[in-house]
Amino acid sequence: MKVVVATSISPFIDGGATQIASWLTQALREAGHEVDFFQLPFSPLYSEVLDQTLAFRLIDLSDRGERLIAIRTPSHLLRHPFKILWFIHHHRTAYDLWGTRYQDFPNTPEGICYRDAIRRADAAAFGEARRIFCNSGVMAARIKKFNGVDAEVLYPPLLRPEVFRQDNCGDYILYVSRLTHHKRQWLAIQGMLHTKTQVRLIIAGQPDPDSRVYLRELETLAQSKELGGRVSIIPRWIPEQEKIDLLANCLASIYIPLDEDSYGYPSLEAHHAGKAVITATDSGGTLELIRDRENGFVVPPDPEAIGRAMDELYRDRNLARTMGERGRRRIGELGISNEKMLQKLLS
Amino acid sequence: MKVAVVNNGVPFVKGGAEYLADSLTRKLEEFGHQAILVRIPFAWEPPNKIVESMLACRLLRIPNVDRVIALKFPAYYIPHPEKVLWLLHQFRQAYDLWGTPFQGLPNSPEGLAIREAIIKTDNTYLTQVRKIYTNSEVTSKRLMTFNGIDSTVLYPPLLETTHFTCDGYGDYVYFPSRITQSKRQHLAVESMRYVRSNTRLIVSGKEEAPEDLVRIEKLIKDHRLAARVTIINRFISEKEKSDLFSKALGCVYIPYDEDSYGYVTLESYHARKPVITCDDSGGTSLVVKDGMTGFIVPPQAEALADAIDRLAADRRKAQIMGEAGYDLVGQLRISWDHVIANLTA
Repeated sequence: MKVVVATSISPFIDGGATQIASWLTQALREAGHEVDFFQLPFSPLYSEVLDQTLAFRLIDLSDRGERLIAIRTPSHLLRHPFKILWFIHHHRTAYDLWGTRYQDFPNTPEGICYRDAIRRADAAAFGEARRIFCNSGVMAARIKKFNGVDAEVLYPPLLRPEVFRQDNCGDYILYVSRLTHHKRQWLAIQGMLHTKTQVRLIIAGQPDPDSRVYLRELETLAQSKELGGRVSIIPRWIPEQEKIDLLANCLASIYIPLDEDSYGYPSLEAHHAGKAVITATDSGGTLELIRDRENGFVVPPDPEAIGRAMDELYRDRNLARTMGERGRRRIGELGISNEKMLQKLLS
Repeated sequence: MKVAVVNNGVPFVKGGAEYLADSLTRKLEEFGHQAILVRIPFAWEPPNKIVESMLACRLLRIPNVDRVIALKFPAYYIPHPEKVLWLLHQFRQAYDLWGTPFQGLPNSPEGLAIREAIIKTDNTYLTQVRKIYTNSEVTSKRLMTFNGIDSTVLYPPLLETTHFTCDGYGDYVYFPSRITQSKRQHLAVESMRYVRSNTRLIVSGKEEAPEDLVRIEKLIKDHRLAARVTIINRFISEKEKSDLFSKALGCVYIPYDEDSYGYVTLESYHARKPVITCDDSGGTSLVVKDGMTGFIVPPQAEALADAIDRLAADRRKAQIMGEAGYDLVGQLRISWDHVIANLTA
C-alpha cells in the first residue's frame, strides 16, 4: 500500500513523538509498503500557533497515496480523503493545561479566541478522520472529555525490541530520558539520599536546549557528600548500543516523569531487557504498563518511598529478576507489537 | 550551526533536486553542523493549489535553527531571519516557460492571476533573504531578467567522488543517463553508423517511457549496430557506473539545452575521461572546453562520430583532456568545501 506518514517536529529535539512516526515509517517499509514520511516544523510560540495551524490546513495531500497517517498535532489537519489519526497529544495549553501555571496563552479575549480556534480545528480534524487512534488510555480519556470523541488505544511498540538483552542483575538503577525538569531526575537523586544500601543510580540522556541550569542543579545534587559518589550523570544523547548495554546490566530502571500522556519508551525498553521499572503514582501513562509489586514499583512521588523501592530491589535480586520477567510478559498482554500496530493502522 | 535544508516534497517523487537536498544535508553533518531536511508538500493541480502551497509555506515557522537553506519554489517562502537560498529553479511555468507548450498554467484570467501572484510574491520575498545563491548561470540569469534580483552561482558538486578511478582508456565511449528523448541517446546510437574506428558505445540508464527504449532498439536493429552498441536499460549501482567509467575511452553527454552541466560530466572528469557534448546542450559548455577537456560538436551523427574517432586515434590526447577536465572542476570550485562555506557564512 502507498502510505503517507506525517507529523510535526521541533527540529533537533528528539522525543517519543518523533520516534513514534519514524519507527512507524520504518515498520511499514519493512512490511513492504511504499511510504513517504513528512516531518513538518512547528513552533509552539503563542503568536505563531494559528498561522501555522492554517499552514498545515492549506497543505493538500489528496491523490498522494492511498492513506495518510497523521501523528502529532497539527498534522491531523493535513488534507487527505483517507486520513487515519494516531493522536498522541493535544496542543495542551488549549485543553488540560488551560488555567494551570503551564498555560502559555494569555488570559485575554485574544488568547481565548486562539484557544477556541484550536479546539474548533481539532473538531474538524476528528470529524473528517476515517479512524482515530491514540497512544494511551490517558489520551483516550482526554479526547473523550474535551472533544467528545471516542479514540481507540493503540500502544506504540519499539521498532526493534529484540535488540534488548539481559546480562547481569547489577547494582545500579538506570534512568534514561531527556534531561528536563518534568522528567524529575532530581526526584530520583533525592530518593537516593534516603537509601540505606550501596545501590547506585545512573542518569543518562540528552539535556534539553536551555536546560543548563537544570543540569547544574542535578550535578550539584549528585555530588552531595551523603551519596558518596553513588550517583552518576551522563548528560548526552546515548547511542543505541550503549543504552542496550547499560540496560542489560542494571538492577532495574526508573521512570518517574510528572503526568506523562503515555508509558514512554524507556519503560518499554527496560521490560524488553527483563528489568523492573520504578514509577510514581502521578506519572500518568506509565501506570497503564506498570503495576505495583508486579512488574515494578508504583510509589508516591516522595523521596523516601523511592529510596525504599531502590533498597528493596538491591537487597532482593530475585525479586528484581522476577519483576523484570513479568514486565516482559506484560508487554505481550497489552498487545504491544509492530504486527498489531500495522494491522490496526492499515485495516 | 543548526541548519534546516528546506525543499519541496511531492510524495513518492524523487529526482535531481531531492538528491541534491539529501546530499547537502549529509554534507552539512560531515562538516560538523547539525542538519535536518524539511520537505514541504507541494501541489499544483488544479492551479489554485499553487497559491495555497505558497501561502502555506509563508505561514509555517522553523523554530530552533540558526540557518535555513531553501532550495525551491514555494518552499523558499518559509520565513526565517537567517535564510539563504540555493535556488535550483523558480516556478518556470510563470516565467520562461510561459507562452511555450510547457506553460502548464491555463491561459485564462485565473491562470494570469496565478502567474501575477507568483511573480509578485517572488519579487517581495526573494529580496528579504540574507543571500541568494543559484545552481547555474542560467538560473541566475533568469532571476535577473524576470525579477531584477542579483545572485551568486554556487555549482553543485557530486556527493561522493572517491570511487571514481581511471583504469586505462579502452575501446568504448560511455553515456550514462536516464533514457529519454531530451537526453538524445538516439543521436549517440545513430552516430555509431559513422564511426570508423573499432570504438563501441555503452549506454546505461532506465527509460523514462517505453517508447524511448523502443526507438533506440529500432535504430540498433535497422542499422545492424548490435555488435557496437550496448544498452543497459536499468538503474545501475554507483559501483557499476564507476567501473564502466574507469575503463572508458571517454564520455558522451549530449542532452538538449539543459540548465546545468550535469553530474555525468563531473563523474567523467573524476575518472579522468574527456567529455563529448553538443553545442546546443546548454550548461555543459561550462565544464567542456572544446579540444581541451573534450569536444563540442553540432548535434549531428556524423560530427559526433568524428569526435569519437578523434579520441580513439590519440589515446594519449584523450588522457590529457580527461586530466584537464579534472583540473577544471577544481578551478571552478565545484566542491563541498566551497558550497558549505558559502551557505553557512
